Amino acid sequence: MNTSSNLTTPKSANPYAHRPSRSQAIEKGVLSVFRAATYFILICGAIVFGDIVFKGVPTVVNSFKTTADFPYVTNTFLFTAPESLYVFDYDGKSREMGDQEFRAFRATEEAKATAAGMPVPAIKATSYVYSAGGIWPCIVGTVLLVIGSMTIALFLGVCSAVFLNEYAKDGPVVRFIRLAILNLAGVPSIVFGLFGFGLFVLAAPTVGTVPVGEIHLRLWPLNYYLNFGGWGVSLLSGWFTLAFMVLPVVITASEEALKAVPKGFREGSLALGATKWQTIRKNVVPYALPGILTSSILGIARVAGETAPIMFTAAYVVRDKLPWEVEKASDFFFQGVMALPYHIYVVSSKIPQNEYTARVQYGTAFVFLGLVALIATASIILRNNLRGRYKW
Amino acid sequence: MSPDAIPPPPQKPFVIQKARTRFFGLTLDETIRVFFGGNALTAVVVLALITFFLFREGSEFFGQNRESITLYRKAGLEYVDYMRAQQESHTALTRYLFDIRLRAFKQLTQDQGLPPAQANEQLADLDAFAGRYSDTIEPVRGFVSELTDVAVAIKEKYTVNRDAEKERAQFLAAGMTAEAAEVKTKAIDFKAELAPLVGVTPAYVEAANGVAAAIKEMLPSLPKLPASTSGFAERLERFQELNRQYLATFPETQKKLEAWDFQKPVPTLDTFTGFIFGKDWKTASFWQDWYGVVPLFVGSLMVSVIALFMAVPLGVGAAIYINQFASAREQRLVKPAIEFISAIPSVVLGFFGIAVLGQALRALSQIEALSWVPGFPFSERLNALTAGCLLALIAVPTIFTLAEDALNNVPRAFKEASFALGASRMQTILRIIVPASLSGIVSAILLGLGRVIGETMVVLLCAGNRIAIPDFTQGLTAFMQPVHTMTGIIAQEMGEVVRGEIHYRALFMVGLVLFFIALLINFLAQKIVRKYRVSIG
Repeated sequence: MNTSSNLTTPKSANPYAHRPSRSQAIEKGVLSVFRAATYFILICGAIVFGDIVFKGVPTVVNSFKTTADFPYVTNTFLFTAPESLYVFDYDGKSREMGDQEFRAFRATEEAKATAAGMPVPAIKATSYVYSAGGIWPCIVGTVLLVIGSMTIALFLGVCSAVFLNEYAKDGPVVRFIRLAILNLAGVPSIVFGLFGFGLFVLAAPTVGTVPVGEIHLRLWPLNYYLNFGGWGVSLLSGWFTLAFMVLPVVITASEEALKAVPKGFREGSLALGATKWQTIRKNVVPYALPGILTSSILGIARVAGETAPIMFTAAYVVRDKLPWEVEKASDFFFQGVMALPYHIYVVSSKIPQNEYTARVQYGTAFVFLGLVALIATASIILRNNLRGRYKW
Repeated sequence: MSPDAIPPPPQKPFVIQKARTRFFGLTLDETIRVFFGGNALTAVVVLALITFFLFREGSEFFGQNRESITLYRKAGLEYVDYMRAQQESHTALTRYLFDIRLRAFKQLTQDQGLPPAQANEQLADLDAFAGRYSDTIEPVRGFVSELTDVAVAIKEKYTVNRDAEKERAQFLAAGMTAEAAEVKTKAIDFKAELAPLVGVTPAYVEAANGVAAAIKEMLPSLPKLPASTSGFAERLERFQELNRQYLATFPETQKKLEAWDFQKPVPTLDTFTGFIFGKDWKTASFWQDWYGVVPLFVGSLMVSVIALFMAVPLGVGAAIYINQFASAREQRLVKPAIEFISAIPSVVLGFFGIAVLGQALRALSQIEALSWVPGFPFSERLNALTAGCLLALIAVPTIFTLAEDALNNVPRAFKEASFALGASRMQTILRIIVPASLSGIVSAILLGLGRVIGETMVVLLCAGNRIAIPDFTQGLTAFMQPVHTMTGIIAQEMGEVVRGEIHYRALFMVGLVLFFIALLINFLAQKIVRKYRVSIG
């Protein structure tokens, strides 16, 4: 805009009114582009989230059923095992039934027909695997995997962070350790899966009374042998694989929490004659612990959400028994489990997409997303609260 | 101490007596320190173990691959493949001709509104020519199909014999000599077996020369397309040119066939380059298995490029907006929301891609108004684009968070100085703040790339899983084709392979490649941050 245009256009009543200059217009334009980018991301996230929630909620809500004994209500989707779904026409009506119900139904119909002296009715059903029933074993498996791996990861992670923050002086070794942690954080999860398969599933040490394989050690003087036959596809393999994967997250989180404890706490304790260990145990870790735990919740979300590392280390496509239905206690650790993320992979890639299978697909995705979202939200809220709480 | 020395005054006992527990000569505090230090070393140990186990399981791949390629040569498969190459080039040319016909037909019927019968009539000359052209290769085809059987039979014999030998070795190792003696093995005389194969070379060469002569004779009579069509002159010219190129390869093939020697050793380097630069990943085929990582690598790269193409503008733009423009309240809401997106598990995103996004994108591509977009319309629901879009959503939170951190670290003084010099807000941001934090932003993008290239479930579910290098000759259409990726192939095939077989080893090698790519990206990101950081002060 130049002055001449100001003079020639008498439209504006106030000649001193602010007129947007060209550069300001550009500035506004660029700003709106940036804003659009931000909200576009949020909208994309909301669409994914909304789609899954919207189509997944009915699966869970429609599965409530009353029962005869104590809680008097149960949810067939959350608390039963997956079954095949049978779809068939009978008596001119289209029916859908789970495996057990279908068998019972067929048996009664056949009995009825024979009693009436009629030929046994042939029921031609189309079956869809995993499309009926629920996801109880998967929920259990995921919870077990998360608890075990987070226990290991927290132990290792907190100890590492204590060393790095309290004991270590900057030197080549510490720098090397920090470099390793940084790089470990960047390793793809499928590589962790391969590593877990190579080490824990195939080559991890087990103790037994008979020697197995070419390489084994006798635990002298006992009559036991250390074999390197691996743990197989098992909870234990999954725990360690996931724990190592999430270790960098836990270490970084713990170190931050330890750093937030003021120096005066340590100095005061040391000045009173406490040893280093006493100082750490009584005056540092307790104050850092809330911070460690809340930040590690984000690690939990990651452990629960990963599929690739457990695909060949811990997850089964289907397993009839629940994890606690084992013959002896030690078997508990050496059994594979079903897991929610793997179940989603199986139901979304191994069975067709149609109206009969959508129920289980969306339902599982919803439950899983809800679980992870809950953990993530808890982490974010707790962290924000914590920021305000400790003031020293 | 000598006996006549003055005895030292008796030491007073310490007032505070404390027995120190010692473990392996270390005091309690030292032990604790060592214990914590040991824990801190886990990260190093795990990294070392990952490298070791990937190498341990994967390293034997090269030996096995060499064996496989040696057999490929010894059993004469390589020899037959020379001939087959000739046949396949011819088939490709025939396809080119049919492609021209298809386009011409489409132009005639759709653009000019001719009824199909009439269009066919106009193209009759071309059809006759194409028919004759495709028949010229028949003599070669006969040889190839006959010799294929011979070569496969030799390979089969060898495999049976090798298995028998293995069985015998196992019996011997178990000390069962009687059973071992019963296993019959028969060494294969490759020279004798190959005689019928090599014997046909002169006949084959003659046949091939006949084919060449026939093609040469035919080419001048290549019919012109109906005058009403347009734009085919170049294509027909190109067809002629391709034919000339094709014919020029004949003497070379002949030389190769004559010089072929089944005993020529396979260099060790070949097995290595065959893996790194191999363009085929073919497994469980009756003919020959090839393990070349290129198609998988290209697939991984393509989905990553698509993802970053979308995620970088969005992530960096959002970071600039939130850091520089947004009100405090907006910041408090948007930052956790984007962090929340990063918590969506990748398998759920993959499922979303299969169930919703794939179909939505395909429907979008088939809208008439959008047909000017390169690659639109496409027919595959699951392709590189679908996977790339979802990966972008995975990369955005990483890029956003790290880039926002980098912007946050630019000292306030920079901004204030810029304002003091009269720069506008936009000038300050684009000319001062963004350049000052560029190293951080670039490393954020690199870490986003690392995240994307290592992502498994989304590509496994949504990338379409077709192992082939996309056809880049048609420009951006390549990005709408299904691809397979390095992460995807490991996840898909690991469950089906026999432990210790070459296929199993090959998957570990792919894992190793992936591991080193990840380390490289990480290294670069750290290097860039450290080297190009604008000094603050």
